[in-house]
Amino acid sequence: MTEPARCFPRAQLQTLLNELWRRDFTVLGPQIDQQAIVYGELRETTQLPEGWSDEQSAGQYRLVPRGDQAWFGYAVGPHSWKRALFPPLVTLLRVQALTEGWNFEDLPEPVPQYALIGVRACELAAIRVQDQVFLNGPHQDPVYRARRERLFIVAVNCSHAASTCFCSSMNTGPECTSGFDLALTELPDGFVCTIGSERGREVLSACDTEPATEAQLAACHQQVRDTEAQITRRFDTDNIHDLLLGNLDHPRWKDVAERCLSCTNCTMVCPTCFCSSVDEVTDLQTDVTERQRKWDSCFNPDFSYMNSGLVRNDVRSRYRQWLTHKLASWHDQFGTSGCVGCGRCITWCPVGIDLTEEVAAIREAST
Amino acid sequence: MSVIHSPQTTCSRQRANPWHTRRVRIAEIIPELAGVATYRMILEPAEEAAAYDFAPGQFNMLYVPGLGESAISHSGDPAVRGEMWHTIREAGNVTRALARLPVGATLGLRGPFGTSWPVEELTGRDVVIVAGGIGLAPLRPLLYTLLHRRGEFGRISLLTGARTADGLLYSGEYDRWSRDMDLQLTVDRATPGWTGPVGVVTLLLQRLKLPDPGNTRIVTCGPDVMMQYVARTAEGRGIAAEHIRVSLERNMQCAAGLCGHCQLGPEFVCQDGPVFRYDQVRLWMNVEGL
Amino acid sequence: MFSEALEESEFLSRIPVPLRQKLAALSTRREFPAKAVLFQEHQPHEFLYLIEAGHVRLEMSVPVRGRVTLLTAGPGDVLAWSPLLGSGAMTATATAMDPVTVWAINGSQLRALCEQDHELGFHVMRQFATALSHRLIATRIQLLDLFAGPSDATGSGNSSQPSGEARASVKAAAAAETQG
Repeated sequence: MTEPARCFPRAQLQTLLNELWRRDFTVLGPQIDQQAIVYGELRETTQLPEGWSDEQSAGQYRLVPRGDQAWFGYAVGPHSWKRALFPPLVTLLRVQALTEGWNFEDLPEPVPQYALIGVRACELAAIRVQDQVFLNGPHQDPVYRARRERLFIVAVNCSHAASTCFCSSMNTGPECTSGFDLALTELPDGFVCTIGSERGREVLSACDTEPATEAQLAACHQQVRDTEAQITRRFDTDNIHDLLLGNLDHPRWKDVAERCLSCTNCTMVCPTCFCSSVDEVTDLQTDVTERQRKWDSCFNPDFSYMNSGLVRNDVRSRYRQWLTHKLASWHDQFGTSGCVGCGRCITWCPVGIDLTEEVAAIREAST
Repeated sequence: MSVIHSPQTTCSRQRANPWHTRRVRIAEIIPELAGVATYRMILEPAEEAAAYDFAPGQFNMLYVPGLGESAISHSGDPAVRGEMWHTIREAGNVTRALARLPVGATLGLRGPFGTSWPVEELTGRDVVIVAGGIGLAPLRPLLYTLLHRRGEFGRISLLTGARTADGLLYSGEYDRWSRDMDLQLTVDRATPGWTGPVGVVTLLLQRLKLPDPGNTRIVTCGPDVMMQYVARTAEGRGIAAEHIRVSLERNMQCAAGLCGHCQLGPEFVCQDGPVFRYDQVRLWMNVEGL
Repeated sequence: MFSEALEESEFLSRIPVPLRQKLAALSTRREFPAKAVLFQEHQPHEFLYLIEAGHVRLEMSVPVRGRVTLLTAGPGDVLAWSPLLGSGAMTATATAMDPVTVWAINGSQLRALCEQDHELGFHVMRQFATALSHRLIATRIQLLDLFAGPSDATGSGNSSQPSGEARASVKAAAAAETQG
């Protein structure tokens, strides 16, 4: 859509939230909880992390005051939007014992209708990646599909890059260019808003907006350039598929295995990781059994369990699996990288393992 | 995508919701070996049973509510519609519970899933089927198909091995099969009274007369190590890796390429396999702990 | 010359024809009826055998267990290389399972010929090495006991495997057992 951008003052963001709730969306957005910026239900703009930014590095995350009133002046936190589309826990099947035998009911839970506020460029890319995984293969995930169809996205352009960010190396940011209903750029006195869909225009019409001025548009472009300049981390992905899959016996794997705790943090915070497992949950009172799908991780020891034992029996083989899948096999399976350069895995690794460093080490001494 | 499989167009209902579960009833239980039985099952309602179709090599997810699912290959004749056969060995919680179910009990079923043995590519060829232990079960649907269409294939050899004579599966059918193919058995270790061949099944392949290696195709199913040495022996005798099909296994949960468990390198064993061309997976099979 | 079928065996076909003829000159075709003993464990024996037809059972005798069949050999296989390698007593008893036809080569004569004609010696030893390597790999696979089920004592330990657990239920798809 090449509609001219609109602008609105800060107060109108509350109007936008109200309109979304009025339309029966459950609105999710950033807020501070336990000293991190996470995603939760957002009803009031007062819940937003006004005046806060973040400082991130390998194994470190802290919030720091900005000294202004910006609502979106930080990078990304431990939550990603996959929790809305690929929920950590969902019931796939409900089973009941009847006299004639088992009865199966598909997908008994109601489907939520989410509106996401503050989706960054790397997160839009992650949603695109998961669209590929869950919708475009020989089988689709019905849970993802139902939520994705109803999803409303209000993207926000980043004005602050953390030291762990490397979206520019992955061609996923920092600018939001597509895949949203509305995209906001936060300026000191308000927002410039790009309309990305028909639904976006309808929702925005509830707000008091005016055409964005030339000066405002210039400020937006400048902000993108400034943010890009803040990105210091570079990731050389040249020929990365063959580099990693051709070095499966590289000594670096043993090296990283001595540091990695196999704690699964990286997979939990990664916005594209999609591994899951299914549990049987039986209610002893009612004879009803549910099949519940929950997030799992290739770092969990029994992820690869077969009756004869574990295929990946050590940290080395599990780390190798994660990294080669994310950066190499993903290309074979889905036609893109699995990494969007958000840097979360680097920040949230308790021992500060940096995948860009690991790849660089393999590249430096590769066969 | 590194997918070179015999395309089975997934039915659109299964594509849209691979978790959709149907009810299947045990119609007959045939004991085979210690801890192994074949189950004849019928889907309900009748329309489901009539509509169900599978290709040799494919599998179902069988579900015992409260315990979980188990991936089990078809072991019956695809030409027989309206019912399905599964040969199941007791190995874990789910299969042990299954083994205690009586005729008339119901289970959940999802499927069919996975790639199949390439029947059309075998026409006009000499076919050597190498089975190890319970690996004969997923090969039996292929055997039946080849026998139904015997004239379309050249020489057919079935080489099957087991630990001991007690482990030779479907032995009651060997006489019938021998009429239309060269059937050879072997055991890893002889038990008292065994007067047949002793030695691993790869030795049978080593000795097999191959009048035309360039026109010979291998299909094999058994433990990974066995299949790798079958392939090695076959290649040593002039059969190219592209002409060897193996059937692999890994931890399977969704069976639909969505949960990540069954990956071997870039391949999803549930979806790009379980039947693979050997050249497709040889590299990955040779990496320890992949 | 050897029979046509035997000429096509892996052992002979890779030896150049002129050298094969020298081997053939040393060989005698012999037939054994079913149940005949070709050679006895612990006894010295003069001849190597190339099997042309029939099957031969190889056994070792173990106190208390009795005679244990280790392997059966068939057409194209080479038997009894101890005479060539000069190692004295035979390591197994060989019994014909059905009527067997072999080409017998005197071991010490072959050895003398190999020492005299190094080119022949090279080819003969190379083919024996190949046959032995096939036999060794096969024996290793037997040792791995790949088909061991839940009630079979495996004996071959593997630290990553819970002892005695069976293979997954049916090939081509692994069990996806959840906690139960």
